[in-house]
Amino acid sequence: MPKVPCTHCHLEFDESVMITEPHGEETLYFCCKGCQGVYHLLESEGLDTFYDKLGDTKLQPAIQQHDDLEKFDLEGFKNKYIKTTDEGLNEIYLIIEGIHCSACVWLNEKVLHKTDGVIEATINYTNNKAKVVWDPDEIRLSKIIETIRSIGYNAYPYDPALQEERAEKTKKEYYARILVAVFGAMNIMWIAIAHYAGYFTGMEQRFKDILNVAEFILATPVLFYSGWIFFRGAYYGYKNHIVNMDTLVASGALLAYIYSIYAMISHNGEVYFDSVVMIITFVLVGKYLEVLSKKHAVDTLDSIMGSTPTEVTLVQNEEKTLVSVENVIMGDIIELKPGEKVVIDGIVTDGEGSFDESSLTGENLPVLKQKGDPVLSGSICLDSVIRYEATKDASNSLLYSIVSLLEESITKKPRIEQLADQVSGYFSAVILTLALLTFAGWWYFGGAFEQALITGISVIVIACPCALGMATPMATLVGIGMAAKHNILFKEAGYLETMAKSDLLALDKTGTITEGRPSVVNLQTFEGYDEDLLYALVSTSKHPVSEGIRRYLEKNGKPFAPIALDAIKTVQAKGVEATYEGKKLKGGNGTFMQASGIACSDDTAHTLFYFAVDGKLAARFELSDTIREGAKEAIANIQRMGIRVVMLTGDHEASAQSVADAVGIEEVHARLLPQDKAALIDAFHEEKHIVVMAGDGINDTIALARSDIAIAMGSGADVAISVSDVVLLDEKPKSLYEAYRISRRTYRAVKENLGFSLLYNTIAVPFAIAGFVNPLVAALAMSLSSLVVVGNSMRIKWLKLK
Amino acid sequence: MSENIVILMLGISTFLGALGLAALLWGLKTGQFDDQSKFIDGARFDNEEELRDAVMMEEKRKAQKKKKEKKDAYRPAD
Repeated sequence: MPKVPCTHCHLEFDESVMITEPHGEETLYFCCKGCQGVYHLLESEGLDTFYDKLGDTKLQPAIQQHDDLEKFDLEGFKNKYIKTTDEGLNEIYLIIEGIHCSACVWLNEKVLHKTDGVIEATINYTNNKAKVVWDPDEIRLSKIIETIRSIGYNAYPYDPALQEERAEKTKKEYYARILVAVFGAMNIMWIAIAHYAGYFTGMEQRFKDILNVAEFILATPVLFYSGWIFFRGAYYGYKNHIVNMDTLVASGALLAYIYSIYAMISHNGEVYFDSVVMIITFVLVGKYLEVLSKKHAVDTLDSIMGSTPTEVTLVQNEEKTLVSVENVIMGDIIELKPGEKVVIDGIVTDGEGSFDESSLTGENLPVLKQKGDPVLSGSICLDSVIRYEATKDASNSLLYSIVSLLEESITKKPRIEQLADQVSGYFSAVILTLALLTFAGWWYFGGAFEQALITGISVIVIACPCALGMATPMATLVGIGMAAKHNILFKEAGYLETMAKSDLLALDKTGTITEGRPSVVNLQTFEGYDEDLLYALVSTSKHPVSEGIRRYLEKNGKPFAPIALDAIKTVQAKGVEATYEGKKLKGGNGTFMQASGIACSDDTAHTLFYFAVDGKLAARFELSDTIREGAKEAIANIQRMGIRVVMLTGDHEASAQSVADAVGIEEVHARLLPQDKAALIDAFHEEKHIVVMAGDGINDTIALARSDIAIAMGSGADVAISVSDVVLLDEKPKSLYEAYRISRRTYRAVKENLGFSLLYNTIAVPFAIAGFVNPLVAALAMSLSSLVVVGNSMRIKWLKLK
Repeated sequence: MSENIVILMLGISTFLGALGLAALLWGLKTGQFDDQSKFIDGARFDNEEELRDAVMMEEKRKAQKKKKEKKDAYRPAD
């Protein structure tokens, strides 16, 4: 049968199952009523040029099944998400679901613009976030959401007070500062060329003055606007009694600036405005790259938090009402529909169904919950309608307590980060003291205040700006860039150093060493096995086992014929059944088969899935959670580096041990609750270990937050990403090993750089203290020393990674 | 060569550069660089209609403002 594309969404289906409609001379095909509706709506609004813009892009079919519109007008919702502008307008940030291409953005904006009462609607194509401003007197938010839904997209609100918004703001701020710094640097450079040319060929003082003033004008905004961040950092350092990099950069740049002003006015000595601007620009760019990699990770987090429900369905006297999560009190009866996420802890009172608790326990098989069983927030109800009694209110529920714990740990700086600046901190302190002593010495013994000041400042100028200031940022910059290229995101440069020092690696099992989802390892087929039928059957279920089989079929087979099944029924925690053209299809575990009188053998360590057609067994699948590729080699390599590798898991001993044996981990801690994992991390700390923890679930987050370096898997699909310091985007265990190698190599480069600048300083600084500094020599020495540091840092790139 | 020429050259070129910088900062502040693909798409799709749309939105905003001023100005007689 020929396949035709749907006129709206462009997905292809058999002609026979399509809704056809004559339209002038041609026939239109639609895959569903939703698409048909959207098409006519767009046509009548004169927006059908959308399809020209769309080209060949395929959309999601416009299926409408929401009935939660009224929640957008609730008071609680308003307080949480809607901002009122100064002009009395309402403003909200939405995430639009279903945007595939720029034509989608165009259509959404266009339709919103045409809606009365909408004052502004801008959609960001890159992250699908929309800002909508509207007049509350003319239109309600529910109407706006309805408009978006009517054209086949969905929108849900997101809280602009979240991390991401803050990260975005810092990013913009940094960007503006960098623009000014780069502008200043580029212009000062060509003026400086004229200046340096003057040294060799001779220049009249009156021209020198002009160049000096021009440099002064350019350097001033760079130092005080772009360099403001360093002054701020130095101030915080001063308040906490730490001499940090910021202190060094700020004091060095400021003193060089003051000295240059003095030199400019007194015609005494050379100006160093170009050094001031260069040092600020370089260090600032390094800091900006840190901010950028931080934002990446936060982006992923927000859409997850945004999909957490803010309302629950309460049942009171057999009447259902939507209530904001904050207003639920203990003892309320809450109803859960299939697919809904639990946000409040409780105990089941009515009904039974399976729950996906993988984000809490790491266990990927669903758990059957019956009357009297506890329901934990963060789990997802998979297959049936359930009522349960709230035993805690929202703020005390597991999900929220974890979230608040995470927020706390993000704002609180890890203690090790302060250590990262220690080495350069000592140098800064020593240089500053030396400069002071020089100044005091010259003043006391020489008697001339002016000369004492110049000599003191020249100590800082020759020592500070280049080599020492760039030793750490330059190397970590290259290290971070190198790591990012290999899909390893370090959120901050300091983490490279901490990771290099670590001597213990704690690994979570599910999702970190293993893939965290069952996949087919063995298959037996019998008579009557039809892949198309099985595919249609397993596609109806979201159960991890069904999805594992669906993935397996998709990998091995050709495209599947779409089959419309009838009487689809999900039996909780057992399987699915359906009929097709009179045939009875059943798919599920052994108990399900035995209940239907189908004989099957059950002896295996793996999870089993049977498929039966008309009461006869057609196929038998064995599934297990496979170990990630290369895990064994990576762990062996890490152990060879002298790092102790430990496995922490919430799973039971037997399966933990078998995975540990397979990858070669000797130390296994099984049956751990989230708190237990964290307690173990603390115990490792007490043994004076620097701990790196890798994990991916909510159950790992507390432990992640406690460890010195937390590594999360990119698809951790969790708050885990937000507490982590390093994110492995490709999720390969090999990346763990590579992260170690990069960090150790970078740390070595940092040490080399610091060692070199120490050497340079021990030679150059005494000259400066003695008052022998010839400006030309100083300028040459400074540029050369920084070139050495840059070159040495670049050598990190030679590290061979597969 | 007189100082004035050097001053003029330096001053004008730096000033022109500064103008560009200011424009860039303004664009950044008003969020024109928030979405990289939008600019490119604008070149592909925008035509007269988009311009009319933009004008329509401007007018909407103005009308709303006017309405609000009217509302604020209205004082019930005591």
